[in-house]
Amino acid sequence: MRVGIIPQQSGGSYKFTIYLLASLGLLIATLPVIIIALMSFSAAETTSFPPQAYSLRWYIKMFELFQPNGENSDASLQIALLTSLKVAALVMLIASVVCVPLAYVLVRSGGRLKNGMELLFTLPLVFPLVILGIAFLLIAESLDLELGIWRLVIPHVALVLPFVLRNCVGAMSSIDIELEQAAISLGASPLRAGVDIVVPLMKPGIIAGLVFALIISFNEFTITYFMYTVDVTTLPIWMYSRTVSSLDPSTLAISFVIVLIDLALILLIDKLLAGRNSLL
Amino acid sequence: MSNKFTRRHIIKSGTALAAAMAMPSLVFASQDKKFHGKTIRLLTWSDNTGKAIVDHIAKPFEELTGAKVIVDRTGSTSEMVAKLRAVGDKAQYDIITLAGVGAVELAKDGVLAKPDLNKLPNLEQVDPRFRTGADGHGIGYLLWTGGLIYNTKTFAEPPRSYGQLWEKQHDGRLFLPPSTWTDALDTIVATDKLLGGNGAAVNVDQAFSKLAELQSRILTFGENPTQIAELFRADALDIGGVYAPAFYAKELADPNSNMGATYDLDEGFFADLMYTIMPKSKPGEDDVVHAFMNFTLDAKVQGIMAEAVLNGPINQQAKMSDAAKASPFIVKPEQLGSTAIVHDKNYIADVREDWIKRYTQTLS
Amino acid sequence: MSKTKILLLCFPALLTITPFLAACFFIFRFSFSANQGAIEGFSFTPYLELADPFFIRSLLTTFKLASFSTVIVIVLAIPLALVMATVQKPWLRRLLSVAILMPMILNLLIQSYGWIILLGPTGVLNTSLRELGLISRPIMLLFNESGVLLGLVQTALPLAVFPILTATRNISEEHIEAACVNGASHWRCFFDITLPLLKPGIISGASIVFAYNASAFAIPLLLGGRRVQMLGVAIRDYISPLFNWSGAAAAGMVLIALTIGVLALANYLTQRWTVTEYQS
Repeated sequence: MRVGIIPQQSGGSYKFTIYLLASLGLLIATLPVIIIALMSFSAAETTSFPPQAYSLRWYIKMFELFQPNGENSDASLQIALLTSLKVAALVMLIASVVCVPLAYVLVRSGGRLKNGMELLFTLPLVFPLVILGIAFLLIAESLDLELGIWRLVIPHVALVLPFVLRNCVGAMSSIDIELEQAAISLGASPLRAGVDIVVPLMKPGIIAGLVFALIISFNEFTITYFMYTVDVTTLPIWMYSRTVSSLDPSTLAISFVIVLIDLALILLIDKLLAGRNSLL
Repeated sequence: MSNKFTRRHIIKSGTALAAAMAMPSLVFASQDKKFHGKTIRLLTWSDNTGKAIVDHIAKPFEELTGAKVIVDRTGSTSEMVAKLRAVGDKAQYDIITLAGVGAVELAKDGVLAKPDLNKLPNLEQVDPRFRTGADGHGIGYLLWTGGLIYNTKTFAEPPRSYGQLWEKQHDGRLFLPPSTWTDALDTIVATDKLLGGNGAAVNVDQAFSKLAELQSRILTFGENPTQIAELFRADALDIGGVYAPAFYAKELADPNSNMGATYDLDEGFFADLMYTIMPKSKPGEDDVVHAFMNFTLDAKVQGIMAEAVLNGPINQQAKMSDAAKASPFIVKPEQLGSTAIVHDKNYIADVREDWIKRYTQTLS
Repeated sequence: MSKTKILLLCFPALLTITPFLAACFFIFRFSFSANQGAIEGFSFTPYLELADPFFIRSLLTTFKLASFSTVIVIVLAIPLALVMATVQKPWLRRLLSVAILMPMILNLLIQSYGWIILLGPTGVLNTSLRELGLISRPIMLLFNESGVLLGLVQTALPLAVFPILTATRNISEEHIEAACVNGASHWRCFFDITLPLLKPGIISGASIVFAYNASAFAIPLLLGGRRVQMLGVAIRDYISPLFNWSGAAAAGMVLIALTIGVLALANYLTQRWTVTEYQS
């Protein structure tokens, strides 16, 4: 269907330029990651490039950190990973549950409400995170509440809302209102029509939103830096104290494994929710 | 490795040492596991000096007393101060280690408690100049010392003056401390001294116009010590400062790192007393917190820390290995003669904001 | 849709954004504080004090870099989105998506090491060029504005690719065929048909990228060697070590106001452009 966008045969300078720029973009996106991945398999003690020999030694060393009761296990790492996962799961759940009905309203009613709300929900993207972090901290401390893990969930939800909403609105825009009306005329309640007809059609947008929510929450550093406590700390905070104090191939191995965890989670979301309408 | 060596060395040492150790070890013998089940929370630096505190202070303290030490290693001194200010009187930490200026700032805010000096018997052994500070709110910890870091491939002989930062051949292979660090203020004072100042009343305009010459020659600011170490390893840097060798205990012992450091400079080197402090509203128990503060001053602990992070010990009887004693990178209290520059903290507090802004404007 | 229903469907989302709005209000209030370290009294001083070179220079740097990076990102993102839209094999599409998301996933500090290894003064590129005899002094690509620009482009790329990719769904083969089979060149076809159809996605992507990069903080710190003082960094400096929190709040408000201003202007201009084009 979309073959026409880039001509398959001929196309000359146009096709060449498109592919050249696309490759350049891909290179810029992935080069540092490729380098880091290569170096994490280095057999050497230090990070010289390219590695003279390759080995799995840093990965073996790193897996010892994750073993529950091993000699080299690091309880703080395990707790931080668990907290990060919990926070990300809550953030994804909350953000999608609130954005789906909002997207529905905005697209169906349109006009000024849509513009205003979209602007409002873009704000978290515009605010410099450093100052937002300190504001959240000052507010949390003045409230005198035992927030626990919600210290992080609440600001993270705000950060991901722009992404989740945009994706949901995007998906909602392409849903024909007649489908819904048809369901209602056949006797379904408006709520049933929404849940049974609209939500499944919005799926690709919801999944895209969830993927962004996951990535942003799981890797958020700046606000978390102000909000974490010694009891509620996340993987990026753990990584930060580690990378500032030393940089060796084992640090690179850990960061590469974190990337793999991210990817596994993204693919899991995709698999669980998408079925055939796979986004990725 | 070096740590094991130090411990064995101490155990093997002769009777003189044993006598010197008798007092603190008696104190500790009576404390065996007496804090079992108690917890304290420590906030410290994210860099390797914080890591060393975990390994060489927190862990031995846990083994000795049975207390649990939860360590939070995040940030630089000014970031710690910002976070502690934001939470005001609801601190989640019992003890914080930080640079002198941070302790002064927080003491001014009125969020710090004055430790009970009677509960810190190890203070007896500490050089009287370095026992307390920040109006009695800070207990001396270790000395932060700064000089020049240089590339051993480029320099056959260690540099002798800060003036060598201005040598043409280091264009593009030069680093300075970031404006946010106290070391940047040191750099301004060093420039002033280079121009003939006395290090006390700084001729700021003159110093900044000299520093401005470096603006286009700097490769980077040393915001991230590991990044600087990598650039040295890759032979991309020649010289930088004022910067602390403390970050590079491992690199300075490794010839492949290309890294050397020196305090032996015509204009002198910089020394700043770091403190341990405790917030008024600390969650932990007073006795455990004091015991921990006392433990940081223990002769053995001070010796091990000095060797691990190249900070200057303030305990006059600090137990150091022969290698550490001979190390040119560890400044001992008695060496703080005429060449050490110790800032007047009140003067620095007055000019700080202006200098930080001008440093940023001049150099970035 | 009835007012009650609209309100009911909007409510959950509004609830989740409330803490963020509270933080915004808090910052707004702080920016008029007479005390630098706490909210106290009322004063315009924090804003008046911004009229010094420390702030003005970083403001100009920020807008220059945010604008350049937005243009570059869009130029790279359009071809990438077109290529992704035409890819038929599911595994290849997955791989491309994951590759483009990479900059958001891997720890930024670690990525900066990747760039140093590649483009640093003794990195792969400079060493190769020197060995080929093409240069005698290393080309400085990092620790200056070009390094920051590269980092901004890299981290913001995914934010533009996905909205544009969504927009490609609006392009059907008929559109292209109707215009292009009749002998129009591929370039004409791209500018006359494809680009206008992609416009909603491009505008949405460009706005996100601009806002995101205007408040960038980690990239100028890591790839600018701290020599490129963007506003995010300046605000961090206000918070610590300058401890001028009302100044940080005021600087934040100015940044937000200008960002929203630029976005609104861009929106207005593109709408006008569309209207006049339609009329002519």
